Amino acid sequence: MKFLKKCPVFALLLSTGVLFTIIALGGKKTIYAQQEYDPLGAPLLSVMFTGVKDDIYPWQIFTGESTPVMASGAGNSEKDLNENEGESSGEEAVNENVSDEGDMADGNESGETGGDGNGTAASGNGEGQEDAGENPETGDTESVPETDSENSPEGNSEAGSGAEGNPGGESGEDQSGEDREGAGAGAQNAGSIGADALHKASDSLKDAGFERLAPLRESTHEEYINHISADIYGDAGVIRAATYAFETVDESYFDDALFIGDSRFVGLKEYTDLADHADFCCETSLTIYKALEERFSGVGTVPEALENKDYGKIYMMLGINELGRGTTEDFMGKYTEVVDTLRELEPDAKIFIMGIMRVSGKKSGSDAIFNNGNINARNNAIATLADNKHIFYIDVNEVVCDEEGNLEEEYTFDQIHLLGAQNVLVKEFLLGHGVVE
Amino acid sequence: MVSFSSLEFLFRFLPVFLILYFVTPVKYRDIMLLLGSVIFYAVGEPVFILVLIAATLFNYFMGVRMWKLNEGFQLSDWQKKRRRRCMIEAVIVDVALLAVFKGLAVFVSNELLPLGLSFYIFKMISYQVDTLHKEIWDKPKFQHVALYFTMFPQVVSGPIMRYNEGGFGLQRTYSLEQFEDGFKLFVIGLGMKVLLADRLAILWNDLQMIGFQSISTPLAWFGAFGYSLRLYFDFWGYSLMASGIMVMLGFDFIENFNHPYASKSISEFYRRWHVTLGNWFRDYVYIPLGGSRCRKGRLVFNLAVVWLLTGIWHGNGLNYVIWGGVLGLLIILEKLLYGKFLQKVPFLGNVYLLAVIPLTWVIFAITDLKQLGIYFGRLFPFIGGAGIAVNGQDIMKYSRNYSVYFIAGILLCIPAVWEFYEKHKKHPVIVLALVGVFWLSIYFLSCSAGNPFMYLNF
Repeated sequence: MKFLKKCPVFALLLSTGVLFTIIALGGKKTIYAQQEYDPLGAPLLSVMFTGVKDDIYPWQIFTGESTPVMASGAGNSEKDLNENEGESSGEEAVNENVSDEGDMADGNESGETGGDGNGTAASGNGEGQEDAGENPETGDTESVPETDSENSPEGNSEAGSGAEGNPGGESGEDQSGEDREGAGAGAQNAGSIGADALHKASDSLKDAGFERLAPLRESTHEEYINHISADIYGDAGVIRAATYAFETVDESYFDDALFIGDSRFVGLKEYTDLADHADFCCETSLTIYKALEERFSGVGTVPEALENKDYGKIYMMLGINELGRGTTEDFMGKYTEVVDTLRELEPDAKIFIMGIMRVSGKKSGSDAIFNNGNINARNNAIATLADNKHIFYIDVNEVVCDEEGNLEEEYTFDQIHLLGAQNVLVKEFLLGHGVVE
Repeated sequence: MVSFSSLEFLFRFLPVFLILYFVTPVKYRDIMLLLGSVIFYAVGEPVFILVLIAATLFNYFMGVRMWKLNEGFQLSDWQKKRRRRCMIEAVIVDVALLAVFKGLAVFVSNELLPLGLSFYIFKMISYQVDTLHKEIWDKPKFQHVALYFTMFPQVVSGPIMRYNEGGFGLQRTYSLEQFEDGFKLFVIGLGMKVLLADRLAILWNDLQMIGFQSISTPLAWFGAFGYSLRLYFDFWGYSLMASGIMVMLGFDFIENFNHPYASKSISEFYRRWHVTLGNWFRDYVYIPLGGSRCRKGRLVFNLAVVWLLTGIWHGNGLNYVIWGGVLGLLIILEKLLYGKFLQKVPFLGNVYLLAVIPLTWVIFAITDLKQLGIYFGRLFPFIGGAGIAVNGQDIMKYSRNYSVYFIAGILLCIPAVWEFYEKHKKHPVIVLALVGVFWLSIYFLSCSAGNPFMYLNF
């Protein structure tokens, strides 16, 4: 009591500190299971605070509810191996299956129709994963010729030109060796798909656009715990999307456009005159997880905005804040859901899903999370949603990156955002990537 | 860990150290503090701690040499001369050490500058001069000298305490009240650093991110004021944390900031800003050069030397020299021309100070001279021409986002607010507010550090 009287601040801090530690201990296995902290450098109670930031509050220990932003990820990859077998990369599905849904279950089914070549590819992949990511793609690379042999030889040449059109496919210098191999293999696969699509596309296919691609493999546990965004799709989607012939448009094109994005789009809004034409649902630190719920000043939530006005184009660039959170699968799960919701809410709009803008080489080389390897992997995933009919994938990295595929250092101060004056590059890029029917 | 506002320091080093310190018998607490300080420094600078140890030994032995020449009630001339030579030798070595490492930092790599070197070398020089002038009354023990140079609350960024202010060798008083007082200062300092300075730092970072050429003139001024507040609370907060720990450990409070923004002239500002550094330059450079009791030409020279050195001391870029030069020039002009006028007319001095000081901080902040030119062009568009892709509405957004920090910061710049705190610091509302400030700071620190995927938002 005397202590409390003489040292009230110290005593209160000690007791609240003990209380917070008990709360953190109590929720460690439940609500705070996803909160990471470094026991050497931070107190256990810090998970309570990082929890609050993720909208997880102490009383949820008792109510049992929590809202995990990060899904459990690839922790159970081994268990899923068998299910994964025969999961095709979706190339045959391009011809066989014109359904618009294209989720993983579809991929599985089409795998059956797709024949042996595909099954081998997927199982080869699965074996690689069992090696704890040492060289998960070995099986895959071996299987490539098999897959290719089923396709027309022109496919390969198409793949070559496709890759040229897309610097992203070549860059990825920060990715680990295995990822690069994966991307390479993916590129070859993709080439054949692109060729197939271009040359053999049926009328019905033209009507529905490309089928969504399924992943070539799963994220490994190692990738998950090290916050590495696994390149589970390869750049098949990127190459396929690049086959669309975009047109140059003028500024009035953006009169019925809506932009959804994070701080990168905030820069576009504030430092170009696009806001004179288009509406922006943009906010620093916006993530795909909150894209549809967040309230933006002036326009309300995205669903409200879509209800109030008929938009002909929706541009979305999200994904950098999500790096390091969950796996590529988690991210894509939500991203797909958002894109589908946008389609549903505004069926006539063209949806432009934009590749995440890369960071500079300096940043990429020194950051375990915010690096271009991770960005490229997620861009490869995003691009798989493009059907070149309603949904288009465009990648602004084409105009803001240096030869090595890193964000040009002269264009940025913080190695992440474009300087105000450089946002005009993005605007010009968008003007050059219109879709006119 | 060397930053007081890190979870590592707050929840690992400090609690463990405090427990060990207070269970140690009073007689051995200096040794415990010395040990803690060495560990603290070694964690931050595992290699360059050798420089600190070598410099400590050297300065201790030079001090001992002077003491040995101290015998007799009245010193004879040869004793005085040799003592003086001793001091000069020691100071030359200390200055050379500082100069060599500063040179390495400028021409090779910033990583070659040992942590806190500028601060502990200044303490060493002060120790030598104070010994010569017999301002250190008892022959110091090694443990006290070593403690003075290396004590962890001060080794990284000051305050540049004098040896005598440490009361080394005297019995320190320990009481729960004093511990609480020190702890409160520490919490206030932590809050200033984390809740104000670190938030305002984002504003400055945003301006750099946008690129100075694209900011509007109102935003350029807003940024200059924001930077002025940020620097103040960063450093005042740090100093309060350092001195708060010292008070908790039983030492006297060392004042480093005395409401500088309430000053009416630049010279007054720098008597109240980073007081221990200003006093150091006054006592060990300005007065030995002749101070102000001399011809006008000499006075100008003395002030110019002091302020150019102050500029060089603060950093490695040319902008720091310009910054020191401009301050020196303004202070000379105040002394010779308009200083008295500023004091006489009500509020004129305050307006002058609040307009000029933020501009000098802009020079301090921008190391790239070309960028500095662009920033001044945005501050004064009639001399700098038009910007590129300027968003005229940007000030609306930033004033909305940062007004709360500006209001809190401006309130804390008013001396009466601090006096109010001093008067009511035991009131339950203040006590609860401090507890809130602490945990809110911990919230921000938890969300920005240690958790690799949540430390940045784009």
